[in-house]
Amino acid sequence: MNTTTVSGTFTATLDSLGSIRKFISDSGRTLGLDSGKTYKLSLAVDEIATNIINHGYTESGIKNGRIDITVSSDDKVFSVTLEDTAVPFNPLESKIPDEAALSIPLEQRTIGGLGIMLARENVDEFRYHFSKGKNINTFCVNLK
Amino acid sequence: MNVIYTTAGNILIIAIEGSIDSNTAGDIQVNLYERVAEATNVLLDLSEVDFVSSAGLRMLLLIYRQIKSRNGKVILSGVSDEIKDIMALTGFINFFEIFQNKADALNSF
Repeated sequence: MNTTTVSGTFTATLDSLGSIRKFISDSGRTLGLDSGKTYKLSLAVDEIATNIINHGYTESGIKNGRIDITVSSDDKVFSVTLEDTAVPFNPLESKIPDEAALSIPLEQRTIGGLGIMLARENVDEFRYHFSKGKNINTFCVNLK
Repeated sequence: MNVIYTTAGNILIIAIEGSIDSNTAGDIQVNLYERVAEATNVLLDLSEVDFVSSAGLRMLLLIYRQIKSRNGKVILSGVSDEIKDIMALTGFINFFEIFQNKADALNSF
């Protein structure tokens, strides 16, 4: 089985979001991921990257933060890994809105949790672990 | 991202071009909410929008609330299938009238 890997490092600032999405979509196109799945994966990555930048680094006062991104693909799975040295944050522990919360009229709704929800629900598998001082967020999309 | 404001009668038309993420939403929101604060009827045209994250949904929510609090109307046009998908996933889609194109949307006010 052939595995192809591409990596990139991005400054942890909001103006990197566009280049992060472009990196994901360019890699997806090169490695044969269809455009619908590429869009959803870019969205999932954008949401977690936004969280890392805003909460992990900026609000915690950590300067000069970076996010390392590795994209890899074999015959079955396309995966993206984000590594950062911001404060530990596990998106799998976040409460995401349930069906009842999502049917509340917009006038009365709290907006929280949508980003994490979009990240987790737009890929086939989402994993998180903390190792050697790094948050490691992994997104997997099945190719078939 | 570009935002173009025009009016047709008493309808404020807001046409957004580009990607709506946490970065770009932050750039336009002050101006956008000032404009919306003076409007009762808003047509938000998303024909040229290629990406919307939860920051874009938050923007939609705030526009919706402002306009609804004055018993106004918010209509969307040119919403791509990808954007409709996330509006469906988050339960937003049930609260917005969505038209295929700007002309049909304008006629519905």
